[in-house]
Amino acid sequence: MAPQNLGTFCLLLLYLIGTVIAGRDFYKILGVPRSASIKDIKKAYRKLALQLHPDRNPDDPRAQEKFQDLGAAYEVLSDSEKRKQYDTYGEEGLKEGHQSSHGDIFSHFFGDFGFMFGGTPRQQDRNIPRGSDIIVDLEVTLEEVYAGNFVEVVRNKPVARQAPGKRKCNCRQEMRTTQLGPGRFQMTQEVVCDECPNVKLVNEERTLEVEIEPGVRDAMEYPFIGEGEPHVDGEPGDLRFRIKVVKHPIFERRGDDLYTNVTISLVESLVGFDMDITHLDGHKVHISRDKITRPGAKLWKKGEGLPNFDNNNIKGSLIITFDVDFPKEQLTEEAREGVKQLLKQGSVQKVYNGLQGY
Amino acid sequence: MWSAGRGRAAGAALLGLLLALSVPGSGAAKTGAGVVTCGSVLKLFNTQHRVRLHSHDVKYGSGSGQQSVTGVEASDDANSYWRIRSGSEGGCPRGSPVRCGQAVRLTHVLTGKNLHTHHFPSPLSNNQEVSAFGEDGEGDDLDLWIVRCSGKHWEREAAVRFQHVGTSVFLSVTGEQYGSPIRGQHEVHGMPSANTHNTWKAMEGIFIKPSVDPSAGHDEL
Repeated sequence: MAPQNLGTFCLLLLYLIGTVIAGRDFYKILGVPRSASIKDIKKAYRKLALQLHPDRNPDDPRAQEKFQDLGAAYEVLSDSEKRKQYDTYGEEGLKEGHQSSHGDIFSHFFGDFGFMFGGTPRQQDRNIPRGSDIIVDLEVTLEEVYAGNFVEVVRNKPVARQAPGKRKCNCRQEMRTTQLGPGRFQMTQEVVCDECPNVKLVNEERTLEVEIEPGVRDAMEYPFIGEGEPHVDGEPGDLRFRIKVVKHPIFERRGDDLYTNVTISLVESLVGFDMDITHLDGHKVHISRDKITRPGAKLWKKGEGLPNFDNNNIKGSLIITFDVDFPKEQLTEEAREGVKQLLKQGSVQKVYNGLQGY
Repeated sequence: MWSAGRGRAAGAALLGLLLALSVPGSGAAKTGAGVVTCGSVLKLFNTQHRVRLHSHDVKYGSGSGQQSVTGVEASDDANSYWRIRSGSEGGCPRGSPVRCGQAVRLTHVLTGKNLHTHHFPSPLSNNQEVSAFGEDGEGDDLDLWIVRCSGKHWEREAAVRFQHVGTSVFLSVTGEQYGSPIRGQHEVHGMPSANTHNTWKAMEGIFIKPSVDPSAGHDEL
């Protein structure tokens, strides 16, 4: 183990030296293969951004640098033009200018005020008035629940900006006592305002990336801090995307399990059959029967359900229920005789209470 | 998915504000502001009277007695958000651009009622009353409105009209204003003819970008 380690270490060192000279390896920073799809890149960025944020790593002197590298990596690899240039020429080959600073990229995924760790949680600051929260239902297909996805959204919102002059703010009712004469007073109600710097509301736009994580459940929410409605005297509310899984024509979801139905012919039910079911991501689930399949028979395919939200490596099951399609046309006299001969099944005619489990 | 424990440093907040001014979007090619898609949430701005389509938990005192729909001048009221949904179940999946001539439903986000009109007179101008009706986004056939615009799709920058499927009126504002308890809000009603009072523009909102669908035949401007 040790000599092998040393060899690997030397190689790693050489490689690192090489990369330092040639520029950063953005694929490595994001932890994705060179063939990664844009979806994989976004997913990797979002996961790492949370882990590497400097506020989250106050003891790491290199935290800021690692975070900047991550932002640079995402900026290049998420843009098809820049990615092509980078793949061919490396970091040196990238033209001109950067680059929106990393904070801008971070806010695409987490909102205007980002996801700040430590300090006072927002909810406790009741003295600061807050704009309204907005909850947007986000319709999501089962295909997206299975494989995950990113939804790009443009948020156009009013933002409070400094304007010249002053305005009245914090207006409130106060009781004023005026003296009418010796020993005689009058109390009146008055509206009293403070003076504040003037603000005006200006519409601004940014793109947000909402991640649909594999295994996500109905009613789960993805918040974007500060992207709700503004408040001229305080902070903006939040924007929350609430997942709404839509019905699917083939699969029904129950937790992490998927249910589906298959209609087979009478012949298939008696002699057996082979078939494929196309799953949510296009892969085929093969079913092979050589025994008799009764109407209502259920087949369990473990691992062919949906990924579990907390651990994507665990998947539920696919439960297939069969029903049998009986011939539509009545059988001829000849066919009836034939069937009787073939099946050699005597008359059964058992009468019982089927609704009570007898 | 987040757990609790969020706060913000003032410095980072300032940075965030400053950055909000910087170039938006990463590599987003700007061919106009884009199209309005199903599932998007937006505010509608009447171009003539400069008010936003609005609803709230206040019922009409006359006519149908249903929840009232008005026009407000404020740009930061969350009660002005409406969600664009298909005219029929599944007819317009998330991210599909709305076509000119397509029937949609507009669901009021905060109360879950649909933009609706019917044969009742409006309280101030005696036009046709426009109300918000239904429960949790489910109303009836009188919730359907056709998006009238020129071109193929509803562009965010374009002024469009909303024509009611059931009664053919256009969603309009002509300037009448209410008194208490909704002082200053404008009456929104249905009018039979298309004119300058019934053009609306998409303003603030959360616009879902068109999904990359090769079969959709998305035209570039």
